[in-house]
Amino acid sequence: MIIHMNAKLIGIGTTLVILAIVVAVVFVPHATFEAAHRPSDDYRPLTTLEMQGRKLYLKNGCNNCHTQYIRAVDWGLGAERLAQAGDYFGQTPPMLGSIRTGPDLSQVGGEHTDDWHAAHFHNPRYPRPESIMPNFGFFSPAELRASIAYMQSLGFRAADARVRRQLAWREKAMAAYAAGIDQNIRWLHDLVPQGWRDVPNPYPATEVSLGRGATIYQRWCLGCHGPVGDGQGPAAAFLYPPPLNFTTLARHADSSGGLLYYQIMNGITGTAMPYLKRELESEKIWDVSNYLAQYFIGNNDANLEPKGIDAAYEPAAKEP
Amino acid sequence: MEETRTQFLASRLFFLTAAFWVLVAMTLGLIMAIQLAVPETYADIPQLLYSRLRPAHVNLVVFGLVLPGLVGAALYVVPTVCRTTLFAPWLAVASAVLWNGVNLGILGTLIHGMTQGREYAELIWELDVAVLVMYALLIVCVFGTIARRKEKLLYVSAWYIAGGLCWTAVVWVVGNVMWHPDTGSLSGISDAILNWFHGHNVLGLVITPAAVGVAYFIIPHATRTPIYSHTLSLLGFWMLLFVYTHTGTHHLLQAPVPQWLKVLSIVDSVALLIPVFAFLTNVWLPLRERIGRLHQDVGAKFVFVGTVWYFITCLQGPLHSLPVVQRLTHFTNWVVGHAHIAVLGFAGFISMGAVFYLLPRVSGRRLWSVRMAEAQYWLMSIGLIGFFLTLTSAGLIQGQAWLNGEVIYRILPQMSLYMVLRALLGIMMLTGGTLFTINVVMTIWRGQKVDS
Ligand code: HEC
Ligand code: HEC
Ligand code: HEM
Ligand code: HEM
Repeated sequence: MIIHMNAKLIGIGTTLVILAIVVAVVFVPHATFEAAHRPSDDYRPLTTLEMQGRKLYLKNGCNNCHTQYIRAVDWGLGAERLAQAGDYFGQTPPMLGSIRTGPDLSQVGGEHTDDWHAAHFHNPRYPRPESIMPNFGFFSPAELRASIAYMQSLGFRAADARVRRQLAWREKAMAAYAAGIDQNIRWLHDLVPQGWRDVPNPYPATEVSLGRGATIYQRWCLGCHGPVGDGQGPAAAFLYPPPLNFTTLARHADSSGGLLYYQIMNGITGTAMPYLKRELESEKIWDVSNYLAQYFIGNNDANLEPKGIDAAYEPAAKEP
Repeated sequence: MEETRTQFLASRLFFLTAAFWVLVAMTLGLIMAIQLAVPETYADIPQLLYSRLRPAHVNLVVFGLVLPGLVGAALYVVPTVCRTTLFAPWLAVASAVLWNGVNLGILGTLIHGMTQGREYAELIWELDVAVLVMYALLIVCVFGTIARRKEKLLYVSAWYIAGGLCWTAVVWVVGNVMWHPDTGSLSGISDAILNWFHGHNVLGLVITPAAVGVAYFIIPHATRTPIYSHTLSLLGFWMLLFVYTHTGTHHLLQAPVPQWLKVLSIVDSVALLIPVFAFLTNVWLPLRERIGRLHQDVGAKFVFVGTVWYFITCLQGPLHSLPVVQRLTHFTNWVVGHAHIAVLGFAGFISMGAVFYLLPRVSGRRLWSVRMAEAQYWLMSIGLIGFFLTLTSAGLIQGQAWLNGEVIYRILPQMSLYMVLRALLGIMMLTGGTLFTINVVMTIWRGQKVDS
């Protein structure tokens, strides 16, 4: 069987096939996929400033490192809510992205305060010492404002609620900070329920545990709280209220392992201090608390009673 | 030989285009790779921003290296299989000149952030139009040549080349949404579907047919044996057309797009094995006792290795089209590994091999240095195997960690070894690329005349 191919068959015949396929796999889904044509429940249109930020996102190709859709298999930032077709309503183009060199950003709105973003855009290694995101220090002040506004809009109404919560707490945090060092610490500590404040660090401050604590501190905290815990990390210049100087905690007898744990786990909403309960497992948070208490505060309650029955590998607990 | 001079001027220009832009494209790749390994190497220079260079890198490997080599080859292959001369050779020359202008435009616009931000469709409208003109000029030359052919039976290489050009022109207009000049996009999630229809077919319907068409010519030509079966070529050609084009949505399997479209794309991705193996059987089976002849010519060797990478790419492709596999591999460096063995290993090797194989025929001069071409062959082969292993391992680490709930920031330290390795291998590849440039330029400038 010999079929003769000729110019007409190739030029016109196959091109018609392509057109038919365009209809089948582009036009038909466009016309019949109803969810694409109405906004999702969370959706709201972007403001002018946020639109400017979106243009900068496109211009600088952030979508070459960040995605904007949450999948069923995801954990971490935004994983509480699966992406829906209506989330991209009216976007030209939607920026779903195809690679996660950095985290998904579809729910980043309200996760961090504006000052955190300012430090992060200037140099991502300030708040996140091991980041590989490029610096955006070349943004003009107006571009920075627009980019931050766009970040805070990601997640639509859910993000708006988070941003409102951040702003409400931010006022209190700023007032407390303005009132002076000791008042600020008292305010911070009053955020922690009494039960937590009574708990000493249940992990003994062994060399190994402190070593782990040091590693975690260098990877997560150093850029803000500084190499010696005095709150003078490179990010500090961008942050208000600035990162806490841990050495001042020495004056406050109520600082306990449980208190540190609680603060690190939940962060200080309204300030740049992030919550780490999603990123660090329980033992790691205890380890870094141990490290802070031992080296910066100089007053560690690790392995004191009450702590329950010792685990097999632990030295016996100490009486207070 | 006056006739060769004008007849194949366009081919020579296209080969020179490939030889020049390969350097630019690979340098951009290396700059990016260094930035991922050592993030503040060139901080705060917006024109060197990783995320602006990435689309420039991708567009320039396609329009700078892969396509010019293949088009230059096609302008030799089509007249030869038609036993005639190229129709309107000056139009092809015009296309080659315009082509270089477009590449300059690609580099200039993208590093300054002038982009439409849709993957594989980043170029601004003006450049989209210029690309279309480039294709249109070539379509006229190719179809004009076919129309005045002296050989009754049209050889399979010509089907692919002629078809590929027409399909791409159509996909280009639709995929770039050229009726919306400012955004170049539809609105909402439909645009993601269209974007990946385009992103997939801009590779599938121009690079693949052009590379397959050229390989269909060079391998039998170098071994002086016909292909295995005409019927298989027909099967491969029509299956590629029907199956490849439906699979764009396999890039969106985890996104909120219609389920039936995902199913269709998965089924057709697996069905793609048929046209791939039809082609491979056709060119590989006749090689059984003649593989030695292939290795006598370094160009033919490159082309052959290109078909081997095609084999590997197209085993990996259907595998990672399956949702169970994508749970692990999607969004990771695994996909970047696939992209490099596909676009460099398959299309790039065939393109560079075609340049080596045909350069003496279109310039009337012997290849300047076969040794240098051999050195390039090893540098690039080892570099590419290294890329593939490095990026695939990195991808598996990322995928595993994410599935187990690690956040991305925590995996970055584990990635850094692989990012450093990739940058080192990149230096090796760039060295290979430099040898290519020197070899092509020197052949045309000073190569020993073929006595005929
Ligand atoms: C080289 C790839 C890369 C590029 C380009 C890039 N990022 Fe990132 N981004 C990262 C990585 C890696 C992280 C995680 C570490 C960190 O937080 O810095 C990150 C984190 C972030 C975060 C913090 C997310 C969180 O954990 O809460 C935001 C916000 C962000 N990027 C925004 C942007 C914006 C906006 C742009 C473009 C102007 C951009 N990124 C460009 C890689 C990149
Ligand atoms: C982006 C900057 C930033 C990073 C990163 C950061 N912090 Fe903080 N942290 C702050 C700021 C700002 C405050 C104080 C807020 C205030 O004064 O209202 C704070 C407060 C704290 C407190 C409260 C102390 C108390 O007595 O209530 C603890 C504990 C703490 N940080 C620990 C850590 C640890 C541990 C890490 C790393 C895992 C870390 N921080 C990372 C900015 C940061
Ligand atoms: C049987 C053949 C093939 C199949 C089934 C296939 C399948 C796929 C799939 C499923 C992806 C997306 C992976 C993900 O995002 O998780 C992908 C990506 C990619 N493929 Fe293939 N592929 C095939 C052949 C090729 C060939 C021949 C080329 C090039 C000429 C190619 C180039 C690419 C590129 C560049 C990407 C990356 C796209 C991006 O930017 O995300 N593939 N392929
Ligand atoms: C010097 C050698 C090279 C280096 C260092 C290099 C580096 C890179 C880097 C860093 C990326 C971005 C990956 C990411 O997003 O994480 C990339 C993407 C890409 N490169 Fe290269 N590259 C090189 C050569 C080439 C060549 C020769 C080709 C093709 C002929 C090529 C084709 C591609 C493609 C298609 C992508 C897009 C991948 C995707 O979308 O998934 N590269 N390259």
